[in-house]
Amino acid sequence: MTSTQPPQPGDVIFTARRIRTANPSQPTATAIAIREGKVLSVGTLEDCQQWGITNIDRQFEDKVLTAGFVEAHSHVMTGMYSTFPFVGWFGRHMPDGRWVDAVKSTDELVERLRTIAAEKESGSPVVVAGFDPIYLDTERLSCHHLDEATTQHPIFVYHASGHLATVNSFVLNKYDIGPNHPAPGVGYHEDGQPNGELREPAAMALARDEFRLLGRVVFAPETLNGFGQTMRNAGITTATDLGNVFHNNEEVLKTVLETTEKESFPVRMASVPRILGGPDGIDEMVSRVLTARTQSHDKMHIPVVKMVLDGSIQGFTAVVNWPGYITGEDHGLFLFPPEQVVDLLRPFHQAGVGIHCHCNGSSTSGVFIDAIEQLLREHAWLDHRHTITHAQLITHAQMRKAKNLGMSANFFVNHVWFWGEQHRDFTVGPDRASAMNPCATADRIGLQYSFHTDSPVTPAGHLHTMWAAVNRVTPHGSVLGPNERIEVDRAFHAVTIDAAYQLHMDHLVGSLEVGKYADMTVLEQDPYEVDAMSIRDIQVWGTILGGIPSKSTAQR
Amino acid sequence: MSQQARIPVLVIGGYLGAGKTTLINRMLSDATQRIAVVVNDFGSVNIDASLIRERHNDTIELTNGCICCAVGESLADVLFTILERSELPEVVIIEASGVANPAAVAAFAHIEGFHHLGNVVLVDATHALNTSDDPLVGRTFALQVEAAHLLAITKTDEANEPIVEQVHDLVSSLAPTTPLVLTTSATLSSLIMNLAPHAGSAITDTHTEFSTTTLSHVSAQDEKQLLAFLQNFPSSVVRAKGVVELANGDRRLVQKVGSTISISQTELPTTGMVLISLK
Repeated sequence: MTSTQPPQPGDVIFTARRIRTANPSQPTATAIAIREGKVLSVGTLEDCQQWGITNIDRQFEDKVLTAGFVEAHSHVMTGMYSTFPFVGWFGRHMPDGRWVDAVKSTDELVERLRTIAAEKESGSPVVVAGFDPIYLDTERLSCHHLDEATTQHPIFVYHASGHLATVNSFVLNKYDIGPNHPAPGVGYHEDGQPNGELREPAAMALARDEFRLLGRVVFAPETLNGFGQTMRNAGITTATDLGNVFHNNEEVLKTVLETTEKESFPVRMASVPRILGGPDGIDEMVSRVLTARTQSHDKMHIPVVKMVLDGSIQGFTAVVNWPGYITGEDHGLFLFPPEQVVDLLRPFHQAGVGIHCHCNGSSTSGVFIDAIEQLLREHAWLDHRHTITHAQLITHAQMRKAKNLGMSANFFVNHVWFWGEQHRDFTVGPDRASAMNPCATADRIGLQYSFHTDSPVTPAGHLHTMWAAVNRVTPHGSVLGPNERIEVDRAFHAVTIDAAYQLHMDHLVGSLEVGKYADMTVLEQDPYEVDAMSIRDIQVWGTILGGIPSKSTAQR
Repeated sequence: MSQQARIPVLVIGGYLGAGKTTLINRMLSDATQRIAVVVNDFGSVNIDASLIRERHNDTIELTNGCICCAVGESLADVLFTILERSELPEVVIIEASGVANPAAVAAFAHIEGFHHLGNVVLVDATHALNTSDDPLVGRTFALQVEAAHLLAITKTDEANEPIVEQVHDLVSSLAPTTPLVLTTSATLSSLIMNLAPHAGSAITDTHTEFSTTTLSHVSAQDEKQLLAFLQNFPSSVVRAKGVVELANGDRRLVQKVGSTISISQTELPTTGMVLISLK
């Protein structure tokens, strides 16, 4: 039968070697028809042709299309490398697709800085980012190394951890940072002279002008564009900026709305404001968020809000249940008083706004889950989907309770690869490290979950999170928590429809079903077919966003 | 920028409910100096509407010359913005959040243009014993107390005497050398405003529990004698500050907070010494 509805200009059918829909009732297909940016039909070419479409695009015939990957926890700062040159230990693609080689020694860093400075007027700042000295076996970076690059420009090297910057003598002199400076966080040589290290933002802020450049970049359109490009190049079609401050600043909101609406902006954005301050200001924040929602559009959604409740495990600032950390000093601190959490969340819960709460430590997950239980006793909302994001050290009892309360978890499963060995050896020990990001247990319990990269903390892209969840291998070849490994199919759903669910966007994105946005990830190989250890090596061609192909600019 | 031209920064810390906001409200309404207050949350600062001149984004300007800024995401940015004002405040008071370590907040007070005056940490007499025992936040409470340069036990009128006594012992055991006062927000406000340098005018003494004494001229033979002089202050003197001339004409900047004494060389003119004592 042929449809009685007439074809429309712009209608298109894409054929593919295989289409992975993330729709369990029709998991695979070979053709997809698109109208008005939405899925019109999905199945065989014949099924799609029933709509009378003659425009058949076969450019993906030898490729694999999947439901577009959804990233429910990343940050716009991913795009900072559009502004600040990248000087990290692992080579990396820049937002514009350029490949930047690794910086493997202090000498290479100095050489890189010298080149950058040579192109700048004397006195104008040289700010670079992503420096990762953990892997360097050369001498610890100091102002003297940086002075070899230039004495005519301020140099500010922002480290990948975000906790440290190293500056040159130009900066030390400019801000009068000498011996016995009163600020904690200023590093010294043995002779008492500053060594150029500024630890934590309070000390980094001593280098006022250079530090402020870092802060300003968050709000710049080029950073947003860099974020979008990085996500597209990694095959992400919906990307979340989890925890911004647009509710405090109308100009920021305007920039986000305008930048994302442009046709060239290559990803659908979930922009998520962060709860700041105390309970007395929350009603105002709720109303600002709800007002901002009325201005959102197809490519900019404000689906949920975020709370940050503790720090990181590798920084020993996550709040961890007894017996605490196995080595190192416990710096775990809540960022809000635990007894205030219910008051801070209540107005959002009552207004029907979902909450994603950053909980790395087990103690923190417990506080959030208890707060949600209290809110549900007060105010029934069965479809809240409140999400524990990171949830790395969540216990089984907490998972059972979270499941019963209708909550979700967004696991930071990339940790198994990037820090798993450190967790096993230094932070929580082998038993709890093996149980981190426990996907298989969540399945046994029935707790809904997804994965995130926290980009730029780990590189954007869900092939890597799938790979980490399926294999759970560490850089030295051990398998950390073999009983928590999951199947590829399960991992694929975690990074598509299940992530969309947590964002309350599963009616729009996350699977290829009739009526939803025609958002797809275009892959050279099928993650279901390659060797499990090769999933992360699959090449991303690019994406299809609302039916429009968008090729990755990443140089290979 | 010279030390003199830097704006002093006081950090007010203490666990949730200790009375920080009440104190800040009082300081804003009683202000005789141009204060810039940096708070966590505008919503909690209940500024009298008749005092508000203008609100712009994250800053409220008051008719008495004070301003109130919300800290938002970056404390450093708030401080930078304060420095860009046409009329600079005489003192900046930062309200640390209820779970913040005041020492970490104070780390920002060394940004060019500012200097750190100290941390005043409030302890709620009615809740401190529970907070201190709480497995989730007990350590936070201890860190806050340990970061104080002046400790104030608040809400003493709402707790019975044995409890106040126990809180006093608890706090003293955590920070044995830090001066400690039992107080209400009214008197604490005056005390704190006296701690902050008061541009161009004499320090006033308008309250009942604390007294301020100004020694118009202090001289000493040498540092040793000066030290002995300071050590011999009665324990009721919680704070002393001034510039003292030695017999050879050199001058010394003198600070005493509780039992902690610092003496350093200075080019500042002699000012005499201000003592703040418990009555």
